[in-house]
Amino acid sequence: MRSWLGGVAARLEAERDFLTQLDAAIGDADHGINMHRGFAAVMRKLATVDRATPGQLLRVTGRTFVSTVGGAAGPLYGTAFLQAGETLGDEGSFGPRRLLEALRASLDGVQRVGAASEGDKTMVDALAPGLAAYELELRTGGSLETAVRAGREAAAEGTRATVPMQARKGRASYLGPRSVGHQDPGATSTALMFAALEQAVLADRSQRFATGSRTRASRR
Amino acid sequence: MIQSVGRAARILKALGSESARLGVTELAERVGLAKATVYGLLRTLEAHQFVQQDLETGKYRLGPALLQLGNAFLDHHELRARSLLWADALAARAREAVHVGVLYGPNVLLVHHVFRPDHSVQILLVGASIPWHACALGKAIVAYLEPAQRRELLAGPLPRLTGRTLTTRQALLSELDRVVAGGVAVEDQEAIVGEAGLAAPLFDNRGAVVGAIGLAGPVEHLLPDGPAAEAVAAVKQAARGLSRELGAGRLSAPGAGA
Repeated sequence: MRSWLGGVAARLEAERDFLTQLDAAIGDADHGINMHRGFAAVMRKLATVDRATPGQLLRVTGRTFVSTVGGAAGPLYGTAFLQAGETLGDEGSFGPRRLLEALRASLDGVQRVGAASEGDKTMVDALAPGLAAYELELRTGGSLETAVRAGREAAAEGTRATVPMQARKGRASYLGPRSVGHQDPGATSTALMFAALEQAVLADRSQRFATGSRTRASRR
Repeated sequence: MIQSVGRAARILKALGSESARLGVTELAERVGLAKATVYGLLRTLEAHQFVQQDLETGKYRLGPALLQLGNAFLDHHELRARSLLWADALAARAREAVHVGVLYGPNVLLVHHVFRPDHSVQILLVGASIPWHACALGKAIVAYLEPAQRRELLAGPLPRLTGRTLTTRQALLSELDRVVAGGVAVEDQEAIVGEAGLAAPLFDNRGAVVGAIGLAGPVEHLLPDGPAAEAVAAVKQAARGLSRELGAGRLSAPGAGA
């Protein structure tokens, strides 16, 4: 979990200007800065947390996000992390099925706060297909590794699909037809989190191979 | 209705809803007309600079004359013209963005927007159209409409824009009562997550509501623990001043004592 959150922070740092640039076209040009600031705060906070379960780490992330990030990103991502953290509870580890439940709780939370559906040109356009692809892969016999890859690919595809959409939620919707032709910044940052998730899962696997750890069974 | 004028309007709207330029064939498909007809209309519109043809690709986009007309619309808009100074003063005092809007069907059309005075990048929202029930400006206006008009709007569609949008007639009726009681409309992330608004109505010399002026900004600034008292006072003062300038008597402005 730490490896994933760290990966998200690193990617947000690298993509900060890109996200801000996307947001400048249809929003307030603050998405990259907000997300970066939020995750920098999360990293500082997590550094002070010594032993914590994955669910606790996510809840700390969500609370930190809500209190440090303004705009729509704070409440939306904050809710997503909090809901995922609640779902994972206080168990020491989690498997692919629990991750699916956590992702679904995140999507539900985001939709409750933002009332967005797929096609509205929001983060839901990356989160919903990413979650659906992850679930389909698991249900059709895929492993955690192939499922997170499917999720990453579908989230990226969903993000690209926001380009021709006319925004129906958020500030961009005020622009009406002028929002067409721009990639949604929120979907972009969500896709980036799926990419970091895949990376963290792969890193976790190679680490377990390297150390010969037998924790695998406990993670199912 | 004059058919060719209607067709020309459809072509302009088609061009306006696409970021990419469109060729004659694509346009003919969009508006459901023969290519020759569309071509003739485009040539006429081009002569008036309502559309522009890209020399390299031969495709069309909207022309500069539309911007001039748009600006003329705003310049001739009396409420907007009179609101400029009040809006600037309000933005400077409250350190937040100011919106001035009028009701246009079930939506509030923003006719003026002053950026939050902090030098950050912001996007100009003049011309934006926001469902009345989801924004402070809309609630401020509708609360003071004639009962028949208000009923009509409450019976219309009330789309949900966020989890906090009021979408039932009952909830909106009590909300409009609160607006009248307090002289100010409050928007708590009902249009955009994280965004709040405070607005007060504007009246003309007949005492009829003609629009609203208000602040728009981060919810933690405007509604730190309920509506920020100073911001509410600033909005009401600007609305009263502007209404007087529009010819409204002192008594017709609500919350005059606040």
